[in-house]
Amino acid sequence: MANKPRVAIFDFTGCEGCELNKLNFENELLDILAHVDIVEWREAMDDRVDEYDIAFVEGSLSTPDCIERIHEVRRKCKVLVSLGSCATLGGINAMKNIQPIEEVREEVYGEDKYLFPTLPALPLSAVVKVDYEVRGCPMTQIEFLKLFTALVRGQEPVKPDYAVCIECKLKENECVYEKGMICLGPVTMAGCDAHCPSFGQYCTGCRGLVTDANIAGMEEILVKHGLSVDEARKRLQLYNVNQLEGVQK
Amino acid sequence: MTRFLLTEDKVTTFIEHLQSQKNVFAPHKRGTNSFAFEQVSDPASVELDYTRTLHSVKKFFMPPREQLLSFSLTDNSFTEPTVDPVDAIFLGVHSYDLQAVLKLDHNFSEGNPEKNYLKRREGALFVGVTFTPDKWHFSGSVGINPNDAEGFDVFLFAVENGYAVEAFTPEGEALLDGFKMSEFDSDIPAAADFNQHIYVPQGKLTEVFDNAWDNEIWEETSKECVGCGTCNLVCPTCYCFNVEDGVDVTATVGQRERHWDACMTRDFSEVAGGEIFREELAARQRHRVYRKFKYISDKTGQPWCVGCGRCTASCSAKISIVNIVNKLVQDHEQATVAPV
Repeated sequence: MANKPRVAIFDFTGCEGCELNKLNFENELLDILAHVDIVEWREAMDDRVDEYDIAFVEGSLSTPDCIERIHEVRRKCKVLVSLGSCATLGGINAMKNIQPIEEVREEVYGEDKYLFPTLPALPLSAVVKVDYEVRGCPMTQIEFLKLFTALVRGQEPVKPDYAVCIECKLKENECVYEKGMICLGPVTMAGCDAHCPSFGQYCTGCRGLVTDANIAGMEEILVKHGLSVDEARKRLQLYNVNQLEGVQK
Repeated sequence: MTRFLLTEDKVTTFIEHLQSQKNVFAPHKRGTNSFAFEQVSDPASVELDYTRTLHSVKKFFMPPREQLLSFSLTDNSFTEPTVDPVDAIFLGVHSYDLQAVLKLDHNFSEGNPEKNYLKRREGALFVGVTFTPDKWHFSGSVGINPNDAEGFDVFLFAVENGYAVEAFTPEGEALLDGFKMSEFDSDIPAAADFNQHIYVPQGKLTEVFDNAWDNEIWEETSKECVGCGTCNLVCPTCYCFNVEDGVDVTATVGQRERHWDACMTRDFSEVAGGEIFREELAARQRHRVYRKFKYISDKTGQPWCVGCGRCTASCSAKISIVNIVNKLVQDHEQATVAPV
């Protein structure tokens, strides 16, 4: 294939698990590489370039430096894709957004806190235009492959806007609630093929909320299943502070 | 016709006898507290005394995910997979679930016949079993009783120490051929009572639903409902689906997949251009219930709900379709009482 799209991969505030999850594509990695040239990827290579077609970006924006860097990435790329919960929603980093920011700084950096300016953890979309997103913590591999294939074919990817429950029921899994556990599947965006409930876990909501999620209804369900009102809210906040409380820009 | 006694200790040999004729699917334990229809490999693991399975036997004729086409982008060709009849014995089916299959037969035969469903249905034989209504069953309210043998090839009526077995079709008789049982000449004990009821029959519901559009119950229910779509996916008479094309990461081959869909989700009512026809959860909830007691029922005269109770039992908010319908009935009756 002539003129393969040039891909660059960047990380901001996050654990780099999403990037690692790309290296975990053991069966598909060579097929992926056949379609694109990776021109910049700090985690895997030394090269730096001035222009690329697709930027895959992991991590939330949580420092003034992040804001500068994401603007630069946006200028240099044609298509920007947010990878994973942090980049798409702010992720678990955003839990700090509901604490007083000075307390957070002090807790983490102690008396050196003045050396480390910090901002509320933001999704990329709070600062720059994001063209596509891959959700999940770490980013959902099957969703990445779907998006990637659509991009190289010049098509609009199809993304589900329904709950994880749908994918769970398609597999005829026993409901997590039936096992006496609680689960955020009923309001969490599908697309992971109900990965966690299919392996005996409950849904933590890492893929974010479905559009117009009924939060009060979900909290009531959690309370009905034994959580306190406070615990219910905290469960939902784990990945979704920005969605629940409104993104702080 | 003659009834035979199948004692509890002979059940596994009876299942083996069935297995010697065709593949047998029956309820098995699934997870901690659930049941699911699976192919029988060990007759001892079959559970004939069960509440309800996660999915009904619908899943065998209309699979949750089904490949409709596979295609090649290199030479623009496609192939349709061959669909074979399931051609098996479904053992331990509850009366409401068979009635649901008969309703789907109607849905998939009229208009444009759904050839994959109808092909899979060929040769399926049903051996029913009595169920004991639990907290959520209400099939009696839609005319389906625990000992209703209508449509079955064979039925196992629960009796003391086992089952009274009766064949209702020549195929059913053939299933019993060669299996020695003594005759059962007592009466079949009455099935247990239901624990909840819809107050009125379908004839009356038609009138109720004519006046239910603006009822406050839709708005009230939507406060508890999160629109997860579970009630749709576990319903034995729901048949809505979505079709999606997927392309392999090599970008050379792909497949077209059909999977069950749910009218309770926002996604379902969104069409090209982004228009959403039922944006409010209340409107989706109303649509779901109207699909069970009005839209198809106006054409067929029958409720399109079989009273299995799955939608409520599986709902994490425990929204009860029986309570919704009874509230509509109550409000209708109050509204139609002549003023004194």
